[in-house]
Parts: sequence; C-alpha cells; structure tokens
Amino acid sequence: MRDPKTIAVVMPAHNEAQVIGAVIANIPKKIRAMSVVTIVVDDGSSDATAQIARQQGACVVRHLTNLGAGAATLTGLEAARKLDADIIVTIDSDGQHDPAEIQSLVEALLDGPYDVVIGSRLMDPEGMPATRIAANLLLNAITYVVYRKIVSDSQSGFKVFSRSALDAFDLRSAGYEVCSEIIGEVYRKNLRYKSIPVKAVYTRYSQAKGQHFLNGINIILGLLMRLMRRV
Amino acid sequence: MVLYAVKIFSLLLAAIAISKSYVDFRGRRESLQMFVFWTATWAAIVLLSLYPPIVDVLIERFGSGRAGLGTFFGMGLVFLFFVVYRMYVKLERIEQKLTKTIQEIALREWDRK
Repeated sequence: MRDPKTIAVVMPAHNEAQVIGAVIANIPKKIRAMSVVTIVVDDGSSDATAQIARQQGACVVRHLTNLGAGAATLTGLEAARKLDADIIVTIDSDGQHDPAEIQSLVEALLDGPYDVVIGSRLMDPEGMPATRIAANLLLNAITYVVYRKIVSDSQSGFKVFSRSALDAFDLRSAGYEVCSEIIGEVYRKNLRYKSIPVKAVYTRYSQAKGQHFLNGINIILGLLMRLMRRV
Repeated sequence: MVLYAVKIFSLLLAAIAISKSYVDFRGRRESLQMFVFWTATWAAIVLLSLYPPIVDVLIERFGSGRAGLGTFFGMGLVFLFFVVYRMYVKLERIEQKLTKTIQEIALREWDRK
C-alpha cells in the first residue's frame, strides 16, 4: 500500500436529519496524521439531511430518488475513488455505530496490515436485541451458502477497506445484499481481512431506522437469485 | 353458485386486463404482439371458466392414460412460476439500470460543484 494520506468516511443516509449532525461531528478529523473526509450520500431524503451534513463540513452526493442503502454505499465508494482516498470507511448514519471507533478499525487495517477490517456487532452482542442476533446469524449462514465465506457479522455496515481492496472489488448488488457481496469479494480476491468487535447502539430511533423484516427477506431473495444464476 | 361467481370474476378480470392492454397498445406503450398475446391468454381463461368441460376434452385428446386434471393444473402452475421468474429477472434488470442512471447523475452533479 502506498503511504496513506486521506481517509474517506462514506455514510449512506436517508431522512437522518435528526441524528446525522451528531454522527458527523463525532467522526475523528485526523487519524495518524491522515486527513479524514466525510462523504454523505443523501439517498433521496425529503428532510434536511443534506443541508445538515453540509453544515457539518461533509461532502454531499445526492441521489434524485431513494435507491436503498446498498446503492447509496456504492455511490459513496465511487465518490471516495474520485477523491483518491487511500483508506475507505463505511459507517451507518443512524447513530448505530460509534464514530470514535473508526480510529481502532483504521489502526487495525494499517497494523495488520489487512485489506479489509469488519466491525462486528456479534463478537460482543451486549445490548443487541435477540431477534437481531438471530436474523444476523441466519444471514451469515446464507452468505456462507452463497459466497463460501463465514464471517462473524456479514451484514455490518461498519467496515474499512484499503484502496487496493476497493479497486479489486467488482460489486453489482444495489440492495442490502451488497454487504454479503463484499464478503464474497473478500473470499474471491483472496483479500486479507479481520473482524474486530464494535459497539452497536440500539436506541428506539436506530431500531426504527434499521433493517426491517422485509429487508431481510429482500436480502435472502437477492442472495438466492445470485445462487440460482450461478447454477 | 360458486361456479357462477368464478365465471363473473374471470369475465371481470379479463375485461379489465384486455381493456388496459388495449389502452396501452393505443398509447404505443405496448407492442402489437404483447396486445395479441394478452388478449388471447385472457380469452382462453374466459373460455375455460365459461365452459369448464373443455378441460375434459383437452385431457382426453392430449392426455395419456395417467394424465388427469392434476397434470393439467400442474402444467399451468409450472408456467405461472416461469412467468413470475421472468418478471422478477426483468424487474431486477430495470431496477439495476435505473440505479446506475441515478448514481451517474449524482456523481456528475457532485463533480461539477
């Protein structure tokens, strides 16, 4: 890896005006002398998400209409590429993750060195509702069936990639199943990865904004379609 | 009584589907082939619901010794699954194209700033 200078933090956001300001404000401004740039992908919000993100100093890329978290993440990754970022972080904008933990994930990537570091909510699931644990374990199992890779939290939105890993990815899913697809790419491209525990903050707000039962069904359908096409 | 309800229901659905298809065809949102296909399909459904003994004639004519009503409806079900699968694939393709377009526009707008 070349000497890293810029870290891009990609945040897909849809109607997060209530919390996004606080999340951006808590993102570290520098990590090991590297500058941190926040890219918010406003996924067709009807509230003031974009304005608040701009006020907090984030770069805002705006989808004309709501495409979903997966597509917004891919747009953010492309924007990070255009900014020539050396390290790319993805984090949820609903306050579920603690932005202060970006530092430990980036340091794990650099010290490994690894290509990908995944923030796992399931390695220390304290405070995580039992239904979420069960749903995530089921999606881990389905991810294994489709992509032959078992990781502790395949659906985590909190990840760090090296630039070379991002360039190696060939991601096509626009839906939530992009998380599983990234795991598949880690396996296919023989990338070095590590999972480290992260806190998941489950407030009433983040639970209401998080993945719903129907999204889970969509992920399973999307993954099964991939499996069928391969057969 | 139930049979009458089925007949009226299928007639109603066919009328809606064919008129919708005709409006789309006139508005050039649907090709002639698609209009003919849907009209023929719904006409066949109406014919079967109005004269159910046709199924017996078809089974007798095309079925072998063991083919029965189950085989007939089984084939229909397989066909329906195939249609649903094709629709799912096509919808997914359209969604992918739409997604790509919106992403491109977003990144171009961002570039200009």
